[in-house]
Amino acid sequence: MLPASVTVTLFFVIPVMMTFVFSFTTMSSDTGILGNRYIVTKATILDLTEHGIDAALVRQLGHKVFRFNDAGLAKIREIGLDSSLVKEIEEKLSGDEFASEKALFAALKQLINRPRSFKHRKAISKSVVNTITNQEFRTAAAFRAGLVANGIKVDDATFGQLLDLTNTSWRWTTDNYVELLASDFTFKILANTAFYVFFTLLFNVGFALVLALATFYMPSGQSKFFRAVWLIPRISPSVIYVMLWKWFTFDSGFMSYFLGSLGVEPENWLNEFPWTFVIIVNGFVGASMGMIIFASAVLAIPADVLRAAEVDGAYPMQQVRRIILPLMAWPILFITSYQTLSLLTSFEYILLLTDGGPGFFTTETWALNAYHTALSNYFGNLRYGFGATLAVVLVFFGVALSLLYLRLFDFKKLVAEPLIEN
Amino acid sequence: MEIRLEKFSKSFGPVNAIEDMDLAIGDGEMIALLGPSGCGKTTTLYAICGLHRVSAGRIWFGDREVTHLVPQERKVGVVFQSFALYPHLSTFENIAFPLQIRKESNADIERKVKDIANTLHIEELLGRRPGQLSGGQQQRVALARALVRRPDVLLMDEPLANLDAGLRLEMRSEIRRIQRESGCTSILVTHDQVEAMSMCDRIALMHKGKIQQIGTPDEMYHQPKNKFIAGFIGNPPISFADGVVEDGRFVAQGLSFELPDQIKGASVSAGQKIAIGVRPEYLQPDFATAIEGEVTFIESQGREILYDLKLGGGQIFRSIQSSEQTCKLGDQIHWGIDVNSVFFFDEQGVRL
Amino acid sequence: MDDRKTNWPLTLFLLIVSAPILIMYVWLFIDSVSEINIESIWPEKFTLRNWRFLTEEIPGHGSVWTATLNTTIFATSVVAIVVVLSSTAGYALSRLKFPFRAPFLGIVLLLHSFPSVTLIISIFLMLRMIGLYDTLVGVILVKAALELPFGIWIMKGFYDTVPWEIEMAGLQDGASRFQVWYKLVLPQIMPGVAALAIFSFMAGWSEFVLPLILAPSSDTRLLSVYLAGLIIDDYLSDFGLFKAVGLFYVVPVMIFYLFTQDKLMNIYGGGTKG
Ligand SMILES: Nc1ncnc2c1ncn2[C@@H]1O[C@H](COP(=O)(O)OP(=O)(O)OP(=O)(O)O)[C@@H](O)[C@H]1O
Ligand SMILES: [Mg+2]
Repeated sequence: MLPASVTVTLFFVIPVMMTFVFSFTTMSSDTGILGNRYIVTKATILDLTEHGIDAALVRQLGHKVFRFNDAGLAKIREIGLDSSLVKEIEEKLSGDEFASEKALFAALKQLINRPRSFKHRKAISKSVVNTITNQEFRTAAAFRAGLVANGIKVDDATFGQLLDLTNTSWRWTTDNYVELLASDFTFKILANTAFYVFFTLLFNVGFALVLALATFYMPSGQSKFFRAVWLIPRISPSVIYVMLWKWFTFDSGFMSYFLGSLGVEPENWLNEFPWTFVIIVNGFVGASMGMIIFASAVLAIPADVLRAAEVDGAYPMQQVRRIILPLMAWPILFITSYQTLSLLTSFEYILLLTDGGPGFFTTETWALNAYHTALSNYFGNLRYGFGATLAVVLVFFGVALSLLYLRLFDFKKLVAEPLIEN
Repeated sequence: MEIRLEKFSKSFGPVNAIEDMDLAIGDGEMIALLGPSGCGKTTTLYAICGLHRVSAGRIWFGDREVTHLVPQERKVGVVFQSFALYPHLSTFENIAFPLQIRKESNADIERKVKDIANTLHIEELLGRRPGQLSGGQQQRVALARALVRRPDVLLMDEPLANLDAGLRLEMRSEIRRIQRESGCTSILVTHDQVEAMSMCDRIALMHKGKIQQIGTPDEMYHQPKNKFIAGFIGNPPISFADGVVEDGRFVAQGLSFELPDQIKGASVSAGQKIAIGVRPEYLQPDFATAIEGEVTFIESQGREILYDLKLGGGQIFRSIQSSEQTCKLGDQIHWGIDVNSVFFFDEQGVRL
Repeated sequence: MDDRKTNWPLTLFLLIVSAPILIMYVWLFIDSVSEINIESIWPEKFTLRNWRFLTEEIPGHGSVWTATLNTTIFATSVVAIVVVLSSTAGYALSRLKFPFRAPFLGIVLLLHSFPSVTLIISIFLMLRMIGLYDTLVGVILVKAALELPFGIWIMKGFYDTVPWEIEMAGLQDGASRFQVWYKLVLPQIMPGVAALAIFSFMAGWSEFVLPLILAPSSDTRLLSVYLAGLIIDDYLSDFGLFKAVGLFYVVPVMIFYLFTQDKLMNIYGGGTKG
């Protein structure tokens, strides 16, 4: 119980919330993803001069001293050097100051037990260095304290400037949402998504029904065969299934060959009719799931009821229309809403098939666009924050539609209290 | 309309459910298909209404051969054991279904449904769904649906099996009344012999895919063709004992008596193995041919008392008596059987 | 109705619409063992050259065996985690009284229908933060966690079908609640456990998006990502090779499915409503 709830929380509840959090940041592969930091780097120091910060202050910020004071010595003791070396440092260098690392290393060379490895020299240097440069501060207060500790005095106005300029990391922002509303692509993608979901759903549910009913009215050998065939796309890994479609529609693939024998020029049919194939490829997979559910729903109709319809004079089409379909209203509703949700949010098959192409945004759907924005694009800069904003919209739909199911499919009964108390 | 099955056979793959069945049912007659579970009653019924295709043989409705007709075209009313009402339709719509399928006018449908609902006393139920009906009410609705388009043939597959005892009694006469009124040729499938005897003109007794005997309930009871029928019909059931013929006598361990003349005269020869069957009412304290045994079981059924008598050879004979209890458990007693009412069967079980 | 005759127009119709699937998978096999002529779809001649990836590395893609091993580890770990956690949590949800049971059940149910791919971006970022990015452990944990709500829900459904009387009788006989679960209840739902295990294995074996995003580098790569890499890089230069690797990848899951499909169908018997 406990491990399950921890895992569910860790990888489910928290990600949902984090999606919201991230959507309010400028996080990208340029800014990195760790928290909001203040760092004075060599690049910032150049920047500072350009922004008219006092030259003396800039020099101070770039300044490094290597001080063998109590704090420094304490750190040295923790490195794990030979005790003789530590002792020698304490005796000979205590209280000394060096203006550069070079001078420090020169002094270390003079020692009898001098550190052999560069690693150790570097560790010593790190222990005694006093500077503001390249130090990470998580908060403005810590930054201020760091300045004070290094004996740098700044007034509040300059400090504010420093804060802005040294914050190389991501910021909180609502710009993502503004951009989302303002962007032309938003509408294009929304239209694509609606088109894709609607027609795939139509194909899915329609075919699932046709298959379930047709196989129901077939001799059992044939119906087993067809159901098995339609399950293949579902059980084969997506990569293979899509690869085969690519081959099928390729200009030296089966379709071109077959149509070629009818006198049609070979084409890359996938590029020619991208939407058609996006819908068919998804549809074949989706239809098999509906088929299983619908077929078992048809079988769940008491055989005598259908026998009664038959002797009452109803032919198969009449049975379907007047008896079977009305009795399958719930499974149909279930499959439709379930698949709406998964079509809205999944992008695996489109990613593999067209990757949003051919050309610019031709078959780019919302979920795929979120993935492209945040995790894979050609411009190199992965915009995590904006991607999360796109995902928020999907999360919102996901939660809303899932809640709707709960209402439709009778939550109260499912959570009935246990009978054994304790 | 007369129904005729000629050499009808049905097999499911390797299983021969029915073999070479001949059956003729007269116009307006009601016949019972009676037999133990799995003997092929439902299979026969489904072949008649067309749900099963026959493996061999022919089926006739009057002069019309229907062997290869689909069920939709046979115009047969069927009442299923589970009633098979359409769960999403109201009672009215359920009954109207066969008419709507045939695209009759709404006015006609309205009138016919009302009529049949009247006959079956279900007018108040027309607005309800099947889920809101009791078993007996569902049964009437199913019957109404089967009868509404005035079928020539009415088939009922254990229509009373799901009802409680009281309702069953009531529906028996009800169904019979309606069948008489509508005059349709009917087949009632049942494995309850009392139901078969009380409701039908004739009984066709089936066993292992074959009709063993067709006849009136009376014939079945008093002149069973074989051991199976004698054993199946009658409650409490008949008692059997095996023995051999010696010197014109039936001899078994602990039991021996002179064969009646018509048996002696018939084809029995000395040393032949035969079996006898004695119905409980022909074993009474004061009957002529004495037998001796121990009372091993007594059950009072209210008006009557049932005894089990264990003979010297270990055979159990049953007796039913309407007088007061005359003995107690463990008593050794001498009672008698009426030899002229005893059935004799040859080794194959055929009655002599 | 009880014995159907072949309805030829219907059968023909289904044959035509099913043709792409049949053709694709038949040619998957044919092309994997033949030399391909770009002009024609008919095989030229038999060859095993396409299967060279079994013994040598494909330049730039690494060894197929590393990917196979990773995929096996991935799928079996996911099964282990999902089965253990779901069968315990499902029992608790079905049978035990504990605080916040209803809300927890609500969350599980919500997540059961919730499309987990929408979380991929924040999961990616979180894994980067905690240092599990591009490790097999990380992607296993994520996949298992995403499968869990489904598993818990299914298992709860199976537990719900076990009569209370069994447990009450067990308690009367002096068994502890744990013994009752382990000795009496668990054996009753073994078909459910088997179905869930099979289902999770197939889901794990086929998983593509999670490893693509969360564990893309060559020593953590799964077969799906390996295969996708072949397609994307050498676009269509060597279809024979793709198909051979593809067949290598799909055959285990097909065979597995063939042997377990009856058990797998129990998934629909237990948990899912409708
Ligand atoms: N679809 C089928 N496939 C195979 N065998 C079948 C099928 N339907 C019936 N049978 C077999 O045919 C025989 C007759 O079955 P049928 O249903 O007619 O029995 P029944 O007399 O109606 O029995 P009950 O009183 O139990 O309803 C049985 O042995 C049964 O197992
Ligand atoms: Mg029957």
